[in-house]
Amino acid sequence: MSISVNGQSCVPPGFRFHPTEEELLNYYLRKKVASEQIDLDVIGDVDLNKLEPWDIQERCKIGSGPQNDWYFFSHKDKKYPTGTRTNRATTAGFWKATGRDKAIYNAVHRIGMRKTLVFYKGRAPHGQKSDWIMHEYRLDDPAAITTPVVTAAASAADAGQEDGWVVCRVFKKKHHHKEAGSGGGGGGKHGDGGGKSAPQYSSSDDALDQILQYMGRSCKQEQEHTSPLGPGAGARPASRYLRPIDTVLGGHGFMKLPPLESPSAATALSTTLCGAAAASLAPDHHLLHHRTDWAMMDRLVASHLNGQPDAPEDHHLCFDAGIDDDGGDPPGADGLTYYPAAATRLLSDDDLWSFARSAAAPTASTPERLSHVAL
Amino acid sequence: MAGASNLPPGFRFFPSDEELIVHFLRRKASLLPCRPDIVPTLLLNLCDPWELNGKALQSGNQWYFFSHATQSRTSPNGHWNPIGADEIVRSGGCNVGLKKTLIFFTGESFEGIKTNWVMHEYHLMDGSISCSSSSNSSSSSKRSQKKKGHSDTESNSWVICRVFESSYDSQVSFHEEGTELSCLDEVFLSLDDYDEVSLPNN
Repeated sequence: MSISVNGQSCVPPGFRFHPTEEELLNYYLRKKVASEQIDLDVIGDVDLNKLEPWDIQERCKIGSGPQNDWYFFSHKDKKYPTGTRTNRATTAGFWKATGRDKAIYNAVHRIGMRKTLVFYKGRAPHGQKSDWIMHEYRLDDPAAITTPVVTAAASAADAGQEDGWVVCRVFKKKHHHKEAGSGGGGGGKHGDGGGKSAPQYSSSDDALDQILQYMGRSCKQEQEHTSPLGPGAGARPASRYLRPIDTVLGGHGFMKLPPLESPSAATALSTTLCGAAAASLAPDHHLLHHRTDWAMMDRLVASHLNGQPDAPEDHHLCFDAGIDDDGGDPPGADGLTYYPAAATRLLSDDDLWSFARSAAAPTASTPERLSHVAL
Repeated sequence: MAGASNLPPGFRFFPSDEELIVHFLRRKASLLPCRPDIVPTLLLNLCDPWELNGKALQSGNQWYFFSHATQSRTSPNGHWNPIGADEIVRSGGCNVGLKKTLIFFTGESFEGIKTNWVMHEYHLMDGSISCSSSSNSSSSSKRSQKKKGHSDTESNSWVICRVFESSYDSQVSFHEEGTELSCLDEVFLSLDDYDEVSLPNN
């Protein structure tokens, strides 16, 4: 779809369609949902199941200039008539959700949510990850927003999220370390004169690998130490676990943290986490007293993930989020955000409140699921 | 933004090097009207970069304007110093222009203080368009640069400039908002890899 009248592009030279998230939600998607006319039919409708990402480029062209991102409306249909999941499979592969949905705010309040998806070639669970990324934006349900209780609003909005119109932005993931090596400013890219932005990201992949290894270790570590006595109890064979995270992250713009073995840090963090959980469980908050060990937290997480009362052997579950080809299952996704949420706190990329909310969403509706933890 | 009021929300003036040369600078030099006529003409020596607001065409944190090519690019409070090598701007296999990058220094020439202000100054390749096959593009571009020195005709005395403050994330935040993954997104993406690895165990 290119915007043209009588064969002439309507987009004047030099202009690009580069909408903000607020423009996408508040102008385009709102008009789409209300079936209002949109000047210049910039964003077309696409049946996601029938369009491979590499064909989007041609289909969603705007004007004649070079483009790095493409936009379309898509109507989400349920995967199964009775379920809430969305079918995002194409002939060649499928779109799989990653991470947590991000709330989008305008100057005043929350206007919608953004889901990030990655295209995998092949069929789940053996798909091959590609560089195609999709941001799927949905509007907040206005009825849910006006509900006074925040958690109720969140769950109501989530219930309605898997149906209806969304607006999508598709782009290819950039590989900064490759660009940094090739010398900045070439081709059609607008170099910043000094190439300053590239080095900032160039080594983040390495840092990331190390974070993940670190998280994997600390997870494994808890399997080895299921003693409820907490940090410091028993002999630690684990000097290999002791690498402080700040040596891994130094210079990458992350918050520096002491190693998890530090009793004060462990206490501080798990106190925060318990505090967040307790906020949603006000009547039962005494149940969480004196639980400052990581094993405790893992058990809490594991019990949320699968609802099984006694599951110390299930600690490895913490990295099994999103096995399905769609991580957007409302109940599952909320439970599964625990570890990403913990990662969020480690990376200081989010605030406590959003964590508290994600913690509150599943527990508020089923407080009894937690009770066994305290026994 | 002036001239773009008939475009729906979401359109930004974000011209490529090629578009600046072909659609704007070439038409200006040929005395043809630019459509849309949105880029104003300024005298560089009268204006410090932080005074461009309201005078030049602003798009995001960038300012665009036409000016005349001069040897001494001084302004009331400083001067522009070229850095790096000139880049060739190509269009359809032809070399159509040159892109110079300059940095603004406050104060006198030799004791100036470097700032974050950056200018891309685009020149037409003198008069005629030099088309070249891909094999000898570099040699032909060198030739045209040499010729330029003594054939400063009316047509290439015009330049078009893009000025911006190269703060840490200025360019990225404007041009690539939404098409960048945050560090956290990258973490989640890699966590997905972890899923794939641990799947067979379950």
